[in-house]
Amino acid sequence: MLLDPGMDLTLRPMRYPDFYERYRAAIRNTWTVEEVDLHSDLADLAKMTPEERHLINRLVAFFATGDSIVANNLVLNLYQHVNAPEARLYLSRQLFEEAVHVQFYLTLLDTYLPDHDERVKAFAAVEHIPSIRDKAEFCFRWIDSLGGLRRLESRDDRRAFLLNLICFAACIEGLFFYGAFAYVYWFRSRGLLGGLATGTNWVFRDESMHMEFAFSVVDTVRAEEPDLFDDELGAQVTRMLEEAVAAELAFAADLCGDGLAGMSAGQMRQYLEYVADQRLVRLGMPVRYGTANPFAFMELQDVQELANFFERRVSAYQVAVEGNVTFDESF
Amino acid sequence: MTQTLSETALSETAERRLAIEEAAARVITDPENSRLAARLLAGLIADEAAEHGVRTFSESVAATHAAGLVADRLAAFVAAHAAELDALITGESAFEYFGLRTVYDRYLLRHPETRKVLERPQHFFLRVACGLSETVAEAAELYGLMASLSYLPSSPTLFNSGARRPQLSSCFLLDSPRDELEAIYERYGQVARLSKYAGGIGVSWTRVRSRGSLIRGTNGHSNGIVPWLRTLDSSVAAVNQGGRRKGAACVYLETWHADIEEFLELRDNTGEDARRTHNLNLANWVPDEFMRRVEADAMWSLFDPKQVPYLTDLYGPAFDEAYRAAEADGAAVRQVPARALYGRMMRTLAQTGNGWMTFKDAANRTSNQTARPENVIHLSNLCTEILEVTSDAETAVCNLGSVNLAAHLGGGDGLDWERLRRTVRTAVRFLDRTIDLGFYPTPEAEAANRRWRPIGLGVMGLADVFFALRLPFDSPEALELSTRVAEEIALAAYDTSADLAAERGRHPSYDDTRAAAGVLHPDHYGAATSPRWAALREKIAQTGLRNSLMVAIAPTATIASIAGCYECIEPQVSNVFKRETLSGEFLQVNRYLVRDLQERGLWTPVIRDAIKRADGSVQDIPEIPADLKVLYRTAWELPQKALIDLAAGRTPYIDQSQSLNLFMATPTIGKLSSMYAYAWKSGLKTTYYLRSRPATRIAQTTVAQPAAAVPAPAPVADPDAVACSLENPEYCDACQ
Repeated sequence: MLLDPGMDLTLRPMRYPDFYERYRAAIRNTWTVEEVDLHSDLADLAKMTPEERHLINRLVAFFATGDSIVANNLVLNLYQHVNAPEARLYLSRQLFEEAVHVQFYLTLLDTYLPDHDERVKAFAAVEHIPSIRDKAEFCFRWIDSLGGLRRLESRDDRRAFLLNLICFAACIEGLFFYGAFAYVYWFRSRGLLGGLATGTNWVFRDESMHMEFAFSVVDTVRAEEPDLFDDELGAQVTRMLEEAVAAELAFAADLCGDGLAGMSAGQMRQYLEYVADQRLVRLGMPVRYGTANPFAFMELQDVQELANFFERRVSAYQVAVEGNVTFDESF
Repeated sequence: MTQTLSETALSETAERRLAIEEAAARVITDPENSRLAARLLAGLIADEAAEHGVRTFSESVAATHAAGLVADRLAAFVAAHAAELDALITGESAFEYFGLRTVYDRYLLRHPETRKVLERPQHFFLRVACGLSETVAEAAELYGLMASLSYLPSSPTLFNSGARRPQLSSCFLLDSPRDELEAIYERYGQVARLSKYAGGIGVSWTRVRSRGSLIRGTNGHSNGIVPWLRTLDSSVAAVNQGGRRKGAACVYLETWHADIEEFLELRDNTGEDARRTHNLNLANWVPDEFMRRVEADAMWSLFDPKQVPYLTDLYGPAFDEAYRAAEADGAAVRQVPARALYGRMMRTLAQTGNGWMTFKDAANRTSNQTARPENVIHLSNLCTEILEVTSDAETAVCNLGSVNLAAHLGGGDGLDWERLRRTVRTAVRFLDRTIDLGFYPTPEAEAANRRWRPIGLGVMGLADVFFALRLPFDSPEALELSTRVAEEIALAAYDTSADLAAERGRHPSYDDTRAAAGVLHPDHYGAATSPRWAALREKIAQTGLRNSLMVAIAPTATIASIAGCYECIEPQVSNVFKRETLSGEFLQVNRYLVRDLQERGLWTPVIRDAIKRADGSVQDIPEIPADLKVLYRTAWELPQKALIDLAAGRTPYIDQSQSLNLFMATPTIGKLSSMYAYAWKSGLKTTYYLRSRPATRIAQTTVAQPAAAVPAPAPVADPDAVACSLENPEYCDACQ
């Protein structure tokens, strides 16, 4: 079984080909930070109001550490306990993607904050900005929740691991990041910060896949060990999401107070509740809030992009292609 | 007190903008929201212009003139005919939101300091028309076509008509620099000057020596073309077209150049960044001899142009002979299996969309400009629809405009042919006019354009016509209609150019064209046998032609947005998609599909979500009837053979070429090599992007997700499930 302790090295016969396909799909989607053009953002930043500028500075400060935290949990917990070589292939790839994200946000901060002192302050946000520190502490608590466990022997061990996995997928990648993305797309819906939006699109694409991978690990464990899943687990996950929503709302209040035009504090709450519900639905658990999505601009994320190449670099290409030259295939 | 007032006004404007964005974001619920958003935006624009006292057209030109934005000639013309011109202005009712927003964000002239618009959208159209007109009647004729969105000139003309430096041309084609340092740097300068004024650049690099070639002056060895193209890449990125759009260029290389493999890697996003050019587009200029060797699975020889400088100036049998002779002389740098190189080209297409396949011999064989052996086409342009001869002294230029076919629906058999012909006649006259009125950033461009006087009239909205007439893209009726449209446009365009020749004279190089010998473009295909062509041929024998080339189908990315129709000859990519532009993102929904579903009571939230979840496809939604599924296939679901067949059907009537995108969700080398070999055999002169899709995608946030089905772990892989996630990761519901 997937969570049985050990170091399985056998790829054939492959027990979980789905994980391997996810690994391959991720490779086809490689992007590099050098492809993102942040230049035009500088002109946008220059004409922003102090409130908007504050929002952006706080937001990038969060981004500066968010992906590093996820990478740490991956190494300290996930890689150790998900015992299938094909799943570990995917996690290795995910680790690389987290590194690219860290590099992207590093480049972003260096570009957005030319002032040395401001830059140092932003990178230290985890320590001195309470709303960011609180979110980080939420993450650290869950990183430590396994208490350095080396083997998942008991039912309780496995339950603890599942909660860690679900927390990072549903609350951190699936809620904190989704909250942050909403600010970026809100700016973009007004034609601002196109460079940040392009990079965010690609980060978002990667994060979506990380989350789906984690959920499919959950699905697999549920099929293999159904007795691990009960109402208590559901209640724990719901509580965890409630805490995450509260932390994210405190962050939102720090970012934009009662809100800005087109994005009120009330709407941000609705949006986060809506996203939290989506995570519960995906986990097969009852919804907590029953709230509808208030942000029309997030609808744009759901549909195909058609970029005019005069204007934006088209990101819709794949990296690995296979086959040989022939003349009789249908097309 | 004043401050309070202006604060109130400010927040009121912010609220109006918010209402507009809200309406625009609800387009997917009902496309009518697009019109609503457009009406709200039109009001906002009118009020903004009024802040500078602009209400009428003549006031807008007075204001833009006072701000130093338009030429004295235009201001004088408008002042002299103010009342007549003001009376021409109509309402903004033709616009969809996205079109109006595009015009507002990017085309309307703004006050240099306040950045407020100084004209309304209709003022802008009439200003463009007046900038190209000598009389009020002329201006009224062109304005009428633009106001009804029946025809639009290309973006450079829309940006610059009536301006102090009216650079009106869309594309420039520069011959390869000569194989020497000074010539290469001179070329960078030309590219930068042309790019500055909103032109797209095509430039060949085939004459420049390859890696390892001896440099006599220093007794060293060349590093090949890549370092030069890196410099070009930086130069192109640095030139921002007046802040309105980024510079863009495409480099062409002939397939026998010994640096071809490194060239094909320039856009990879892995590998050494010092050998990558992220801003340049790449195109292959492919001789028939190469394709024949691919077919025959033979070897292909790569040469240093320094050894065979004459090859790039030859095509057809003369090229084949010279190429084989150079091989026999042992002049090749090395040989590769033709199929290995072809496979590498296909890989580049799949991975980057770039490395467009354009065919040297097909381009030259039928061109009106290549009657004399010294006149050779060496490349196409940034969008692969222009094919014109170049040399060191002549930079080819093209002025473009496109007929919106969707605005010509009507009449007994679907299209109002007489109105289409009238539109073409007007369009050709104004395109011809741009040649004389335009400002040319380099003498080489001016020299070529005045001598050859080429224009490129194209179309947009073909997909709208097919939807409206309920013709699937791959139906025989669609092929017949598309071919007839091309023929009618060619007939009317040639006829008008003959009239212009009678009125104003032939283009100076007319005697160097095939038309002077009585051969028109469709004659190369045996496609001009009807009496109408015979009559036209006779007329041209008397009058000559004012323009050496007339028809080219450009991509129309921006002007199709303004017109609210599908781009040029393209199929739809999705029934629901977003457009990314400099001014943000916009949601678009196929309004023909919505109307059909509304009529059948099927445009429900459940079906809307299902279409979104399926990435804009209607194929797997059980409630949608079969006839609609056939009609509303997306580009990813249509056989690409049909797109190639449509293009081949039009080819006899397109004396330049067409920007033909091909689509493959998950490309493989096998499928691509079959497809491009078919395109070549079908006689296409050029192809454009290969469009594919991301291997993974963003999780949908606003579509209700199906509850987690619990997939059983698969000790033995289910072959169907694997095939699904392999071939179609985004369609596979298991992954969503």
